[in-house]
Amino acid sequence: MKNIFYRLGAAALLSSAFLFTGCDPEFEEDVVVSQGPLDLSKYVAVGNSLTAGYQDNGLYLEGQILSYPNILANQFSYVGGGAFPQPLFTQAQANGSGYLRLGGFTSTGAPILAPVTTNLAVRTDVAPLPGGPRLTKHAGAIQNWGVPGISVLASATPLYGGVNPYFERLLPDNEVGQVSYIQKVVATQPTFFSVWLGNNDVLAYATSGGVVDPANPFGIITPTAQFNAIYTQLVAGLSRNKAAKGIVATIPDVRSIPFFTTVGPVFKAGLPSAVTAVVALTKSGAARKVIPRDDIRVGTTGNTLFTLTSTPYLTLIGQPTGRFWRDQARAKFPNDAAAMNQEIRRYLQNYQLDTTKAFGVSAENPLPSALILDADEQADVQAATTAYNATIRAQAQANDLALFDVFEFFNNIQSGLTVNGVFHSPAFITGNLFSLDGVHLTPRGNAIVANEMIRAINAKYGSTIPTIDVTQFRAVLFP
Amino acid sequence: MKSKFLAFLGSAMLTAGVAQAGGFQANLQGQKQIGMGHTGTGLALDHSSIFFNPGALAHLRQNGIQLGVSALSAKIAYREPSPGFSEAMTDNPISTPFQVYASFGKEESPLRYGIGVYTPYGSSVNWGRNWQGRFGLNELTLKTIFIQPTISYRISDKLGFGAGFVYAIGNVNLQRSIPLQNANYFESGVELDGATSGFGYNLGVYFKPSEKLSFGLTYRSKVEMEIEGGDVTFSLPNSPVVTSQFQATKFDAKLPLPANITLGIGFKPTEALTIAVDVQRVQWSAYKSLRFDYNAPVRGENFTEGSRNYEDVFIYRVGAQYQLSDILTLRAGAYYDKSPVQAGYLTPETPDADSRGVSAGLTLALSEKVDLDASFLYINKKERTDAANLSGGVAGTFKSVAYIPGVGINYKF
Repeated sequence: MKNIFYRLGAAALLSSAFLFTGCDPEFEEDVVVSQGPLDLSKYVAVGNSLTAGYQDNGLYLEGQILSYPNILANQFSYVGGGAFPQPLFTQAQANGSGYLRLGGFTSTGAPILAPVTTNLAVRTDVAPLPGGPRLTKHAGAIQNWGVPGISVLASATPLYGGVNPYFERLLPDNEVGQVSYIQKVVATQPTFFSVWLGNNDVLAYATSGGVVDPANPFGIITPTAQFNAIYTQLVAGLSRNKAAKGIVATIPDVRSIPFFTTVGPVFKAGLPSAVTAVVALTKSGAARKVIPRDDIRVGTTGNTLFTLTSTPYLTLIGQPTGRFWRDQARAKFPNDAAAMNQEIRRYLQNYQLDTTKAFGVSAENPLPSALILDADEQADVQAATTAYNATIRAQAQANDLALFDVFEFFNNIQSGLTVNGVFHSPAFITGNLFSLDGVHLTPRGNAIVANEMIRAINAKYGSTIPTIDVTQFRAVLFP
Repeated sequence: MKSKFLAFLGSAMLTAGVAQAGGFQANLQGQKQIGMGHTGTGLALDHSSIFFNPGALAHLRQNGIQLGVSALSAKIAYREPSPGFSEAMTDNPISTPFQVYASFGKEESPLRYGIGVYTPYGSSVNWGRNWQGRFGLNELTLKTIFIQPTISYRISDKLGFGAGFVYAIGNVNLQRSIPLQNANYFESGVELDGATSGFGYNLGVYFKPSEKLSFGLTYRSKVEMEIEGGDVTFSLPNSPVVTSQFQATKFDAKLPLPANITLGIGFKPTEALTIAVDVQRVQWSAYKSLRFDYNAPVRGENFTEGSRNYEDVFIYRVGAQYQLSDILTLRAGAYYDKSPVQAGYLTPETPDADSRGVSAGLTLALSEKVDLDASFLYINKKERTDAANLSGGVAGTFKSVAYIPGVGINYKF
């Protein structure tokens, strides 16, 4: 009966449409979309900040809505995809963790990034977790399990819910510190899944300039064997012996993201010609390293990367200053002057610093390791990335999954990618792909990634899932 | 008379739609000819010979004036490349290409003078501000009016020559989005607007060896339309870092309106029936690029340039008219117009493709002095998919159709 009404309705609609559009140009072929052999009724996204929709150094409602998994789910809905509940922040707390927005530019054209601090989902009534203040809990179904900060290493430990506030907010109280991320996502029993995980197994080390905080067990580069074992377990659990199909994504070369490529060229250009080299700490210890001027990476020359966070300190080169160490200590003990001073003394002793000497050019007052990813540190990152990606590709093969080779994709677009007449590149702010933190994508970047994934899925499974019009997604907003 | 003339000019919207012919040429210069697939170079039908063949004008025996206008309704559909399926359709205003011809001379004199005012090139396409190709184009309006004083000389009943001088005026307005959004998500854009003028000429020879057969050959020169000091208007985020990138306020540009050579043959197997065939060569290769020169840098460049590299094309036309009675004449015709746009060069200004036109028309003779023409032309362009990778255009599939009814009035004295 319902079917008949449907047919009648459709017939009436079509005939009236003809009356109105009979004069319009029509394409010879109708659009054909098909799920192929896929069952997209329950899509579950597994991953880190990129999957959660984190951007501009924060997780907030707009980013969540424009996450690549939500875009994928929207496109799946044309070919039998089901609902895709995400752990969205409420309208009242739409700014989530808080984030950065572009407030303007300095007279020299440098961006002024202003924090958004209203309408947050940050809870001040409870003690913070090691990973930051707690966030408003989300109750209800979840199919986007993106957790900012999570690594493959962290995904296997049940303790992680007690560490990371983004994971904690997704768990009922009795599971916090009791149930691992892998247990949670495997239990969802998806019919289709995506896994883009592993970036943080190397990114945490890279963005801290090769410095490992002994208090943070997830700040190291995850040993390859461990990565391999956990990743294999995760994918096997989701795939349920190939009962579920899915897509896995590799890890990009972190050296190509604006977080590392933006500052170096500006710094080098502004460096007085008399300065032929800078001195910096390397890795976590007190060892010094001399970095010749020509080793500062500009385009494809040079081998030393400067982090986006190094900007305020690089202007102090040559001056007697301990500002970096003071800022570090203050961040650790914001309300305890005594503890702060003790921490500063600890730095001076540990790193054998004399902050009365010329900053960055004298061996006594070197650039902190955290501001630089030097060649040795990059080698560590590179080796791990290569090994992880080998594991990811092998798991795609073994479990009959589609593969989005992010590593290759971002390498290929280093010199730019034009989509719909708009130029995209990994340049900070002007490149349209990366958000204001220089690490995470803009909504447009997410849409481009979602389309690449759809192409990979279609190629692997013979489906014809439609891609989305990326021009409908914003890049960086200008004041 | 003169004031009516001007009133008519003033009231008509002087644009022509994009979908009527190859490139941005609008082949709508005479109501009788439209009804016959726009053939007429080899015939001496009426005062529109000023356009179709100045050499045939002197073979008309009566003075007269003719006014005609078409209502062009064109739509273009767009679909993004697979596996995307976003679609868009233009919302073009109905444009009204028109033609006015007047000729005079002593009845037995071999010399006739004429003047024609018509709109042979134009384009009006509006994709709006939301479609996928908006960074290529929102909206383009190109209007041109040719004013052509003409002289025609009848050497004998079999042979005539004619020549016309063309003064062309026009206006171009182009709007496109710029991929920069402000904090309120407002998307930036630019509008280029400028007036233009140019010169050219028409030549024609008409040869009628017998009552049953006639030939015509015409050459219409290229007209280079130059815009100097057109206005550039940006709407942008306020930040000086952004606005300093877009300093231009004026632009210069050139748009060649290509030369045409047309050979026409008329054949009258009976007194009532006329068959016409025209072959037209359009020298589109004059249109190599669309370049805008600015008076200040735009994103570091003093100009923008997109390759067009149009190629010369032939248009094949056939038409017939049959005089049913003293009062009624019926017409039908068709043409095939090859697209000048090569693969890789498709643009949303003229998402051109090989087009097929079919037409019908009639003339009602109300009196010795007054008759009315009506025409209807349907144009269907082939569906075309292009990567647009050589023109900086918009990749995807385009399909155009146009419906063009027209009416005309002739007054002979």
